[in-house]
Amino acid sequence: MTETFPINIWINEERYQKLQEAGLSAMAQEMLAGLKVLRVPTTAEQRDDILKKYPTAKYDSATTKSIELLPRDAKDRIFSLIVDRKTLDVIEEFLK
Amino acid sequence: MSEIGHGGREIVERILDPRTTGERIKGLKKVPVREQIAVEVIDIAYGFFSPLQGFLGKKDVQSVCKKMRLADGTIWSIPIVFDLSDKEIADYGVKEGESILLTYKDSPIAVFDVEEIYEYNKQEMAKDVYGTNEEKHPGVKLTYQYKDKFVGGKITMVSKPTINEPFTEFLVTPLEMRKKIREKGWVRTVAHQTRNVPHTGHEWLMKGSWLSAYGELPVEKMMVGVIVNAIIGEKRPGDYIDEAIVLCHDVLRKAGYFREDVHLTSISLWDMRYAGPREAVFHAALRANLGITHHMFGRDHAGVGTYYGPYDAHRIFDQFDSNELNIKPVRVLEWWYCPVCAEVTYMGLCNHKDKVQNFSGTLIRSIIQDGVKPPRLIFRPEVFDLIEECANKYGMGSAYVTKDYLANRNPVFTFPKL
Repeated sequence: MTETFPINIWINEERYQKLQEAGLSAMAQEMLAGLKVLRVPTTAEQRDDILKKYPTAKYDSATTKSIELLPRDAKDRIFSLIVDRKTLDVIEEFLK
Repeated sequence: MSEIGHGGREIVERILDPRTTGERIKGLKKVPVREQIAVEVIDIAYGFFSPLQGFLGKKDVQSVCKKMRLADGTIWSIPIVFDLSDKEIADYGVKEGESILLTYKDSPIAVFDVEEIYEYNKQEMAKDVYGTNEEKHPGVKLTYQYKDKFVGGKITMVSKPTINEPFTEFLVTPLEMRKKIREKGWVRTVAHQTRNVPHTGHEWLMKGSWLSAYGELPVEKMMVGVIVNAIIGEKRPGDYIDEAIVLCHDVLRKAGYFREDVHLTSISLWDMRYAGPREAVFHAALRANLGITHHMFGRDHAGVGTYYGPYDAHRIFDQFDSNELNIKPVRVLEWWYCPVCAEVTYMGLCNHKDKVQNFSGTLIRSIIQDGVKPPRLIFRPEVFDLIEECANKYGMGSAYVTKDYLANRNPVFTFPKL
């Protein structure tokens, strides 16, 4: 199975409302004592593309093995794609 | 009473007597230095780098690079060097056997008794100290930026710098720290090295190593203290601002997560080299000079990227006899959140490996960036609130280093004009 590297979209109130309206609230996982998160998978190649495209983002190789610090607007776009497409597999489209 | 530091040597401050300063510096050639050098002058003069009395000569540099020891055999892992270009040496008339006056932002800071001017292969230095020649390693980059020649010799600080707010109470010199430790009645102390705002993983690292250092001591009165020693030095865009780091650590005690009688916040001035295990050894020496008895080392201590193994900084201490270091390493694993244990728990105890959820400062920053407040189990609300306060008061609106912050921040220290 190909290793994937998640982007964590943390669910604030506004995002949770949108998930509920779209019937997708079950898509959110619970983590860290009560936080809700969408864990969006990326391949190694997609991860590297994202890090190149967004230099302020960071791959936390030491601890969480996830892509962090993507700008808010990039995360908002990914979140919108998830709600529209009703799937977490949106990174290919996001990167186009 | 002699205060003994690293290498079993007495801590001696090297600061001019104000009654003789004028005479001592009269007529000396002035050589301006950059901030990194000014910081290291302060560190040498106050004894943070004891037994170093100045910038290293070639024999010591070679020995430090090759053997992690000074030429006299004292353990020392990172070369502390003073560099000048050939043009500067000619323009300022720097000569062996003569003294010069180092200045920083037009203030005199130290008399430098030049003993030796020498060359050293920077590629070799980088490879020996950092284990790599890749310039994207920040320590290697710093090494390659050294100028044509190195100058070795003793320094004596001209006058004490003013440590500006909010750092004033936190810069505690080696001699002052020993006094503080005695006043608190601490028999043992454990250093927590940091350059980050604390989350509860850090908090538990401190608490765990405090328990470890406490051992068999009686508990009617607390006899052990955690000494947070935040490294304040060169910043990179995206780091937390220094003020947030120090004040947020201090708020953990003020908010009651540590008792008053078991915790103290302090800073040391130093530009991190990210030398991983070698920097761990350097930190051990630094904190031994502060009079601290134990030093906590976690995963990838002082590392960067993937240059060093996660526990190389633990293993490096195996090569030294316990009586060579005046400080005991406390080797620790990670703390993580386990939903089964329903708590932040220790890797060495929790066996729910498939369920655990790691968290890091970077992850928490992402959470905050997404407009979500982390739960108090992961990030204390007092720290969360203080970060915003620091952003507005010190960070020009951001808790993270920006170009604006670098250009306009209040300096950490100021040397008086004479």
